[in-house]
Amino acid sequence: MLQAARSLAEALAAAEHRMRRIAYVIVTVIFLGSFLHAQGRGRGQASPASVPPPRSTTSQTYPADQIAAGQRLFTAQCGFCHGRDAMGGESGPDLTRAGSVAEDVRGDKLGPLLRTGRVDKGMPAFTLSAADLGAIVAFVHDQKTKAESLTGGRRTVDLADLQTGDPEAGRKYFAGACVKCHSPTGDLAGVARRLQGLPLLLRMLYPAPGRDGSKATVTVTLPSGEVVTGRLAYRDEFTIALTDAGGWYRAWPVRQVKFQVNDPLQAHVDQLGKYTDEDMHDVLAYLQTLR
Amino acid sequence: MTSWLICRPCDRGAKVRRHEGARVLFLVVLFGVCAIAQSLDPSALTKPTPDSWPTYHGDYTGQRHSKLTQITPANVHQLTLAWAFQTNQSQQIKATPILVNGVIYITTPDNLWAIDARSARQIWRYTYPQNEGFHIGHRGVAVYKDFVYLTTPDAHLVALDARDGKVRWNVEIADARRGFWSTNAPLIVGNHLMVGVSGDFDNLPGTLKSFDAETGKLQWTFYSTPPPGTPGSQSGGATGGQMWMTGTYDPALNLVFVGTGNPTPVLNGAARPGDNPWTCSIVAINPDTGKLVWGFQASPHDTHDWDAAEVPVLVDGMIDGAPRWLLLQASRNGYYFVLDRTTGKNLLTAPFATVNWSKGHDNDGRPVPDPAKEPARDGRLVAPNEAGGTNYRSPSFDPTTGLLLVSAHDAYGIYFFKPEHGSYGWAGANYSVWGKGVLRAIDYQTGKIRWSHDIGEGAGGAGVLTTATGLAFSGDSAGNALALRTSDGTTLWHAGIGRVGNSPITYELDGRQYVILGGGSALYAFTLPVSP
Repeated sequence: MLQAARSLAEALAAAEHRMRRIAYVIVTVIFLGSFLHAQGRGRGQASPASVPPPRSTTSQTYPADQIAAGQRLFTAQCGFCHGRDAMGGESGPDLTRAGSVAEDVRGDKLGPLLRTGRVDKGMPAFTLSAADLGAIVAFVHDQKTKAESLTGGRRTVDLADLQTGDPEAGRKYFAGACVKCHSPTGDLAGVARRLQGLPLLLRMLYPAPGRDGSKATVTVTLPSGEVVTGRLAYRDEFTIALTDAGGWYRAWPVRQVKFQVNDPLQAHVDQLGKYTDEDMHDVLAYLQTLR
Repeated sequence: MTSWLICRPCDRGAKVRRHEGARVLFLVVLFGVCAIAQSLDPSALTKPTPDSWPTYHGDYTGQRHSKLTQITPANVHQLTLAWAFQTNQSQQIKATPILVNGVIYITTPDNLWAIDARSARQIWRYTYPQNEGFHIGHRGVAVYKDFVYLTTPDAHLVALDARDGKVRWNVEIADARRGFWSTNAPLIVGNHLMVGVSGDFDNLPGTLKSFDAETGKLQWTFYSTPPPGTPGSQSGGATGGQMWMTGTYDPALNLVFVGTGNPTPVLNGAARPGDNPWTCSIVAINPDTGKLVWGFQASPHDTHDWDAAEVPVLVDGMIDGAPRWLLLQASRNGYYFVLDRTTGKNLLTAPFATVNWSKGHDNDGRPVPDPAKEPARDGRLVAPNEAGGTNYRSPSFDPTTGLLLVSAHDAYGIYFFKPEHGSYGWAGANYSVWGKGVLRAIDYQTGKIRWSHDIGEGAGGAGVLTTATGLAFSGDSAGNALALRTSDGTTLWHAGIGRVGNSPITYELDGRQYVILGGGSALYAFTLPVSP
């Protein structure tokens, strides 16, 4: 009986979720339509729907007392970085829009992530009991459900907000500043299908090294004259390290070798000091045409 | 006090001079000599002994500079580990260890350990009851006589017996249910125990309170943004301006200097027109009354979360050929300021990190915000990012070279605001784009950068400690503790101890000089080797 009730509740929640999603898309299309109308100029593109956060792959509901317990724990342990409402804070991302939360089913992704942390990104590992972990997971999923029903909540940046650029001006800027490394028919072909709105803008400004590590390569010349090339794995004042073609981590003291780092992202850093806000919005508008 | 002010110019021959003898005598007379040898007389804070680090900045000046000379540029490469103390917490240590009578007090949120400064052996540990406050970090304790004080994530102030960690009293600083919390290392002047709070997610008045150090009784409350209806309310509808960092103190002027935080709502500037004093400001307060004597606004009408809470460093120096009592601050908005600390008059404003948000500065030395860089619906690319040109980690002033060493941060962020974000709490959205840490040496008289030392991409690095032999201790983004030559930034020593999240200290015990840095969640003590 209990099991049946839960299944029914989940089915209802899933149905409600689908309805909400449809309603959300309708609302955003109406909103965007009126926005473009008010602007008095279209962009020659099919009206893009506002980008909702990634949807939970598996709809989940949690008991209210578990959510409440999770809220208390989240506020104390996670709130400063991720915001008290889990929608982003001083140093941590909006969890209601995070892929790891969307893919999580009852802590199967978040549990290991919380226990090991993402130390390289400044997130510590947490020692949590199963009950506390479950409560935090419940709260985060509940916040995500709430966020999915918001149409103008705080800290949201919608696709419609980002339509102030001129794609033709952006194309010209791109032709001057970006073509050394990028091509609209090569690496960026269809980029606007893969990324929209804020994620596209942030990636355009600085495509931060992802989980697969740095995009930089390094060529190290050893005292013997041997030359080793690979992906830059680590660098500080004292050590240079790479991942070689065989997948092995190799490190040397910087004083004992010669090395040359090639970091394609440096061009993005240099560009940050050159963009006007208008340039930035124009280039984004141009990238949105690469569908 | 008058005779003091007359006396002062007589001994201003030195290019740079620290508070010396006569002032100590004054305070000894004022507060009386403490009868209990093991306890800390508050007058000792004006001239700390070499075997102590009795207050957050080491002394009242905020210079974080030590006169100890055993460790030198010539022998620093021999530094070796004396001990390590593991807190076993998930959080990194952000606190400055406080050392009194051979005992180090070190904190993380809810936790306080008393350990032997010679061996790291734990003497006692205090754990605050589980609570729902913000557990963002903790800056350290304050010590007065035989009291140790701990602020808590739910904005309480707990007084403990320094001998055994037993609670003597516990008072509420501010209501945590309204969104206040505290990470603050209190500042003690006489029997005034001054404590600040934080609270950026709610529209709360900027609050600094002074408690009687013996009894915990409230002495006064200073509001940087007085609540509506309060006399002196002038903040243009802004709340915020929290004083979450430890201030500095000039005994001769009897002024406490504190940096104030950003206004709330944070990114929605339209909701709070005008300059919003005294947010993002340096305020000078009389510690006996809690009354404002002067204020200087480092960021008028801030819309980027750049509080001016960073350390107000007190230096007696020369500007334009004349001796001046100065206050230096490298502020989170990327600007370095020099003020006359008697009046708050600005003498110099110069950027020390990448900035693109201002149109220069006005006649009073205050940066003029460029309206085009205020958060907007479609986003504005702004330098620095929210973490700022520097942050809570302390700078250090070296009197010999006249350099202020700052853990600087060149960074870009993107800032959004639309009316739908409302006017409560954050009220906007912002994202960091890119940043890198750089240690910068600022010529205190001109604001010119004498040298820069890259410490790696990502967030800024550690706080800085300088010593009289020309050494600077800090940390890089990769997790190395560093010793640099203060005059030119050359690296002379390093040790991979994990990310240094606090500001280093040094002391001398039994004829050995120790340098203490936090690496991750552990505390490390380095010293020169001795034969077994």
